[in-house]
Formats: sequence, structure tokens, C-alpha cells
Amino acid sequence: MDTSVPSPFVNGETLKMFVGRRVRTVVQVQRNESGVLVVQSTDGHQLTIRGAPGAPEAPHYIEVMGIPDSDQSIRAESWTDFGENFDPVPFNGLCKLASDKYKYLFL
Amino acid sequence: MPQQTTNTPERGSAITRTRGSQALLPLTVKQIMDASQTNDGFAVNGTEVSTVGAGCSTSAKIVQLCTSVKVRLVGRMLNKKQQVTDVTFVLDDGTGRIEMKRWDNETFDTEEMKLVKDGDYVIVIGGMKDFQGKRQVTAFSVRLVTNYNDITHHFLHCIYVHLDLARTKRSLSQPQVIANTSTRNQAPHTSYQAPTSSASGNTASRELSDLVMSVFLDPVLGNLEHGVSLDQVASRLNLSLGQTRSTVLDLVDLGNLYATIDDDHYKSTMNG
Repeated sequence: MDTSVPSPFVNGETLKMFVGRRVRTVVQVQRNESGVLVVQSTDGHQLTIRGAPGAPEAPHYIEVMGIPDSDQSIRAESWTDFGENFDPVPFNGLCKLASDKYKYLFL
Repeated sequence: MPQQTTNTPERGSAITRTRGSQALLPLTVKQIMDASQTNDGFAVNGTEVSTVGAGCSTSAKIVQLCTSVKVRLVGRMLNKKQQVTDVTFVLDDGTGRIEMKRWDNETFDTEEMKLVKDGDYVIVIGGMKDFQGKRQVTAFSVRLVTNYNDITHHFLHCIYVHLDLARTKRSLSQPQVIANTSTRNQAPHTSYQAPTSSASGNTASRELSDLVMSVFLDPVLGNLEHGVSLDQVASRLNLSLGQTRSTVLDLVDLGNLYATIDDDHYKSTMNG
């Protein structure tokens, strides 16, 4: 990481609030289309992730850290394999809480 | 009205009834950085967190939180550096970055630190420190995250604890919040409900608590080996025994008093 700017947790819905800013999100890999990952966010949005070479196959979850270049795609800087047993429901809840009501604890 | 089902007994009792016992606060780096400094340590989101030593702090805004409290953080490890006597690293949890130091006191410390490296997600437990104006954590436990749901859980736990502490703080200044007091009790005493249920008794019950407390804090009475008996308090303040007992039990639940030889004798936790 080159800066210490906090990176908020986002889901498909809140991603658009942070276009151009570093974010982190956990998504489920659906398929890999020659280097571009097609993934599903924890709230069911389909997103594309560029720049995540070596990412695992479906149905693994990965945490992606990067900068969204639109409200449906992220340019990844790094990713971490979160395995298959990740529960998207509480993570989705966390995204909503952390970007809205309890933003002051996170950002 | 929330009942005991919403109460997490282990964590709740650790925060609200501390008498020299350890409490563990899950925090984000942002919360630590935002914490303001107090006499004995820090105040995180308005709640005092003592960094050193056991025993009660009389300056504590929340009287219950009068003991040494540790913090729990989850994030990514960066810049791990092995020094002669310690290992330093930076923890990035997405809300900020904080420097951490792990002293190499025992083989266990060295061995545990060998298992983690830059880029790993880790769970850190340690104590908060302020070194020349810079916030740091002295870690004594650093473990790899194996179940990534722990990360989600940690941050949700941070929100939960923050809300719980804020609610506890509010209930101290407004003893009429019945819902909160019932979640703090495992088995609510029927007499415990009495002071808080009287609509007009809000200010009166607080003054009563203060009056009763002042008897226990009296230097002469406070030094008695078995503490002060309920009869003594009642006669001194000209109260009924029942009223005295229920006020004293409230104070016991708050952590200000404790029973000594039997249910009729109590001492203050704040003496000495």
C-alpha cells in the first residue's frame, strides 16, 4: 500500500459512492474471462475485477482491494483468497453499517 | 423491551462489572486514533479505557470501567521488522494504520511471531500506549486469521461494543432506562427494579445513591473490617431498611459496593 488512506468496506450498492477511492470488498468469483474476473458482490450485483491475476476459481470468495473505475468495476491492487466458507450476509450488513450509520468508527 | 436474550453475559460483565478483572475491547484503528487522552489512559468514543495497572480510577467517567482494559484488532500486517529485543509491524485494518510492538520476552513470543508475515491477516491483542504523542499498541498475542468470517465478525463486534458502552454510559445519567438495566442483569432482583421504575424518582434515586455511597466512603466507617451494615446506613440517613437495601443492591450492580461477611454488610470498591 502506498498510502494510509482508509479503505472502506463496500458492496455492490455502496461501491458507486467511492468511485476513484481505494475500497475493499469481498466478492464471489463466478468466472474468469481472459484475465477479467466476473464476480458477484455480497448484495447480488455483478461486477468486473481487472488486475487480479492468479485469483481462485468459483465459488471462492476473494477480498479485493482496489480503486473502482465505475459503479460496476474495480481495478484491483491486491486480492486475498477468503475461501469457500465465507458468509456474505454479515459482510453485506457490515458494508451498510460502516458506510452509513457507523461511518465514524471506520472512516 | 430487550430482555436477557439480547445480553452477551461474558462481554457485558467484563465491561460493566470490572473489579481488577481484564476486559477486552474490539476496536478499529480509527477508534484508537480518535480516542482522547485522560488522566489514567484514553477515552474511546467517550468511554474511559485505562492502560496501566489494576484498581479503580476515581476520575473514571464510567465508574465500572475502572480496570486495565486490553484491545483487540484485526487487520493486515505490514512492515514487519525483527529487532534485537522485539518485533515491530504496522497493522492496517482498512480504517487506518497503527504501529505495533511485540516484545520478545519468551520463546513463545518469538515462535508466535515467526508464523506471521507481511500481507497476512492477523488478530492482535494488546494494550494501548501513547508514546510521545503517537498511538501504539503493545501486542502480546498475534495470530493468523484462519476463518475469514472473523474479520466481518470483528468489525460488527466493534459496532456492537461501541453501542453497548454508549448505552451503559447513558443509563448511568438516566437511571430510569429500565430496558438497559434489565439487560445488564443475569437474574434481575425484584427489589432492583424499584428505584428505576418510579417516574418521579429519577433525580431522587440518584441523590439517594449518592447519599448511601457517601456513608460507605466515610473514612471512619469505611475502615471497618466488615464494612458498613445496612442498619447503620438506614439509621444514619433515616431511611427504611427496604429502601436502603435496594439502593445498596443497585450500587453493588454498578460495581461501587461489594458484600463482605453477609448480605447485610458492604464495603466500597473505591477505598484505598
